[in-house]
Amino acid sequence: MAECIVVTSGKGGVGKTTTSANLAAGLALAGKRVVVVDADIGLRNLDVILGLENRIVYDLVQVIEGECRLKQALIRDKRVDGLFLLPAAQTRDKAAVRPEDMQRLTAELKETHDYVIIDCPAGIEQGFKNSIAGADRALIVTTPEVSAIRDADRIIGLVEAHDLPEPDLIINRYRAGMVERGDMMNREDILEILAIPLIGVVPDHQDIIISANRGQPVVFNEDSIVGQAFRRITARVTGEEVPIPAFDGSNGVWASFKRMLGMAHAQEAV
Amino acid sequence: MLKLFAKLQDALAPRGSTSKDEAKKRLKLLLIHDQVNLTAAQLESMKAEILTIIKRYCEPGEAEEVELRLQKEGGEVALVSNIPVRRVTGGAAPA
Repeated sequence: MAECIVVTSGKGGVGKTTTSANLAAGLALAGKRVVVVDADIGLRNLDVILGLENRIVYDLVQVIEGECRLKQALIRDKRVDGLFLLPAAQTRDKAAVRPEDMQRLTAELKETHDYVIIDCPAGIEQGFKNSIAGADRALIVTTPEVSAIRDADRIIGLVEAHDLPEPDLIINRYRAGMVERGDMMNREDILEILAIPLIGVVPDHQDIIISANRGQPVVFNEDSIVGQAFRRITARVTGEEVPIPAFDGSNGVWASFKRMLGMAHAQEAV
Repeated sequence: MLKLFAKLQDALAPRGSTSKDEAKKRLKLLLIHDQVNLTAAQLESMKAEILTIIKRYCEPGEAEEVELRLQKEGGEVALVSNIPVRRVTGGAAPA
């Protein structure tokens, strides 16, 4: 049974596109047939994160307007079997697509793929409405900041108002050192406020920027802690139970010493 | 070594209000106000009006001591108030 998952956040710049790209690539690595759809009409970026920008021929709007067949617009990623991108149009705007179009499109994609991942644009307007129209479930991306969490709270309400099941949360750009010093909200703080299940924590790390520079999703890099985090998220999305580590080196010597002295504060050992 | 000492000191020190505490406090308040659509200024003016009524019957504490805020418990938002009273003056029953 195929599933359509929308990746959304409300606020821009929190990591929706990076999450969409890595979740899709991670699912493909796990042997699934996946298509990731860039729903940010007019501001496409997913193609660049995936390193597929030079292979675009047709786009989502052309499919909807019947200028080409759906299959012609899908770009096959040659690095991993079963990964496809449906790029957004760059020269059109969000008004070119209606929620009914997205419903039809995602239904068609679900016939030939195990997962359809929708990369939702920022905001709560047309682009958001289009993105959630065909979705079966939602993943909310946030960062440990007041503005991002406020917007996430708003989006969670809107997702539930659209009759989707309770969404899952991804906390992105987590900095364990700052959390330990009390300068960043920890996962309990965030979960206390947003009150939805946590499906992953992604550490803030230079690997994200390096992989974006190269157009290589970090999930391909088994040695990267960010790549590993996305692999775990992928597994949880498919229903596997994988624990979420603390990213604070809480298995190290210094942490054991602190725990011994009862000094481990504000940091959970998972 | 110096870094280790700083870390030890930090870990042993009583935790005051950290920036994350501040963030969390601001965020909680923000979400409540987003939900009920009541601004901080409106809340202040409500507080002033309530105080004028209270003053007919008793002498409340200074405005800074009077607390009136929105609080979220579960999904419900409540108006929580704490008004110290210096002296009951009796006051006239409304006509």
